[in-house]
Amino acid sequence: MPNPPGDLYAILGILRGASQNQVKRAYLKAVKKLHPDVNELPGQTELFHDVQQAYDILSDPEKRARYDSNLPPVSQSKPVLKTRIQYSRSSIPRQEQSQLVYALIDILPAPNTPPTHAPPLNVSLVLDCSTSMQGQKLDMVKATAIQIMRRLRPQDIFSVVTFSDRAEVVIPSMRASDLLRYENRIHALHPSGGTEIFQGLSAGYDEVRRYFNPASVNHIVLLTDGRTYGDEADCLNLSEESAALGVGISGLGIGHEWNDQFIDTLAKNTGGVSMFVADPQKIQELLLQKFQHLATAYAENVALDFEPAPDSELVFCFRIKPEPGPLETKSPITLGAIPRDGALTIMLEIRVDSLSKAFKSMEFINGTLTATLPGSGSATPAPLTVQLPIADELFPEPPPQAIIQALSQLTLYRMQERARAEVEVGNYPKATQYLRSLASHLMSQGERSLAKTVLFEAEHIERKQTFSNDGDKAIKYGTRALIVRPPEGEDQP
Amino acid sequence: MITCPNCKNEALDGTIFCLECGAHLVGADPRATQSIQTSGMGGLKDKYIIADTPPITTQAWGTLHIIESGQLLPLSERKEYTLGRVNEGQPTAPDIDLGPYRAFENGVSRIHAIIKRIENRIILIDLGSSNGTFVNGVRLAARVETPLQNGDMIALGKLKIQILLSYVN
Repeated sequence: MPNPPGDLYAILGILRGASQNQVKRAYLKAVKKLHPDVNELPGQTELFHDVQQAYDILSDPEKRARYDSNLPPVSQSKPVLKTRIQYSRSSIPRQEQSQLVYALIDILPAPNTPPTHAPPLNVSLVLDCSTSMQGQKLDMVKATAIQIMRRLRPQDIFSVVTFSDRAEVVIPSMRASDLLRYENRIHALHPSGGTEIFQGLSAGYDEVRRYFNPASVNHIVLLTDGRTYGDEADCLNLSEESAALGVGISGLGIGHEWNDQFIDTLAKNTGGVSMFVADPQKIQELLLQKFQHLATAYAENVALDFEPAPDSELVFCFRIKPEPGPLETKSPITLGAIPRDGALTIMLEIRVDSLSKAFKSMEFINGTLTATLPGSGSATPAPLTVQLPIADELFPEPPPQAIIQALSQLTLYRMQERARAEVEVGNYPKATQYLRSLASHLMSQGERSLAKTVLFEAEHIERKQTFSNDGDKAIKYGTRALIVRPPEGEDQP
Repeated sequence: MITCPNCKNEALDGTIFCLECGAHLVGADPRATQSIQTSGMGGLKDKYIIADTPPITTQAWGTLHIIESGQLLPLSERKEYTLGRVNEGQPTAPDIDLGPYRAFENGVSRIHAIIKRIENRIILIDLGSSNGTFVNGVRLAARVETPLQNGDMIALGKLKIQILLSYVN
């Protein structure tokens, strides 16, 4: 066992001021990930002992007090994450009625952190090889896979798994330098059978796990054009396990048959993204972009763990940058990765229910940000507090421009979500009403072709009471793509 | 509560964009109403623009042109006609029996569709037929009104019929 075991708080990924409740939760989370019964990775049994020891001390108030008194002052542990919060208003009025507050949070590398090396990748590419992939789609996927293999750096680890009715490990996890000899295996891929995503996902997960290393970017990239039947629950369970270990899952859906809501949930659970291509020609562009994002991460598995404050609720949470996507609203929220040259930006919408009591300020979220830094392991957790002073009078003030910018695009995305929800419950007039409003906003922003698609879908729903083939996905990913903030000039790290 | 100036929906205080219609509620000038040109949008037809067309005559307002046989069936006195084929022992019969034009072979249902004249508009409604009703190649949803223009090509199952309208003058 390494001695001394380092900062016990860092081992559990919590702050010094953490409550007993938080200590316990962090411990349970760590056990789930590190217990020798589930984790046979070399070297991790020691980690498990460290966690056990940290919990023994920190869960006992007496031992904890003794340990705390010997700790160096907080300032010595260097933060690696910096947060910057903008609120929709500078104070909230004291009132009984419910109200909304928006917070736009940038999470970025702390200034003067020593430059880290680009992290090595440990990625499994999980490919759908069902009959429906035949033709241009599979050709494009093969070409892209080979291109990715050639672009990997020597330290990267890569594997390829295909699935149809069952999964096959086409290229087991190996160093990029050994991959050359296996290119012909990609050429030889042949489509047949159905789509059983769980088989593929679980084989891909096993491949990533074999070389799992907190210092790498551990990720599964899933490509599918179909809907899986009966094993979605298994996939979601797996995604939770994989999130606990620190393996992200991203999905690329091709065409109109795949289930975007399912892939979104997979991605949301693990901090990955879901992507959509209608045209197989675009597969290459999106996949290469995804690998680019993976290879340029500063911090991975950024997660926000918080205890919900009474009288307020996080109703909506969305990642604006670097890759837009919906996020969980219950703790812990897996946020994704922080790029090396920018920020991870999220938007929170918080409903405050009653503010009649005599507080001076209101704390909506009091949480802890954890992350792993590829190249150096776990980062010192950083506190994240979202709070505003309470004012007795309401001062009308315009929200910051950045919030308006982000929300104007986000609202379009949410209108599309609402239209889809209405179609699902059979309220077609309402759905077309949302789509028509959406179209007029898109028009006013100059997004003519997307607006036309939306109008066409509105007509389609009126006549046939359903979206056209991939219309719902085209609108969803079209509006999602609009959500990217313009670059800010001065204070880029 | 804030009331959206655009759609009159009530939103919570602090809301910046109306979730109902997307209008900007706080910190911006009220936006002028935008109108969208729908004409010339790939394949979309505004079904309510009928101002340019001359009025349709009240008597002998239309003709069904059966493409396969070249036969012309006049639509005159009534304001609506059901289309279909007569079947032995069937209690209800359509107003226009397409049986003689190989309706059965072409998959026409017994009561397939209805064509109506409402003022200056002609509409077609599919009555839940087995093989569907198409206007210019596009399948209609069952029991939904679809406006027809002069010269539109209708298909009941595979039976193709062109609609010809008679205008005043």
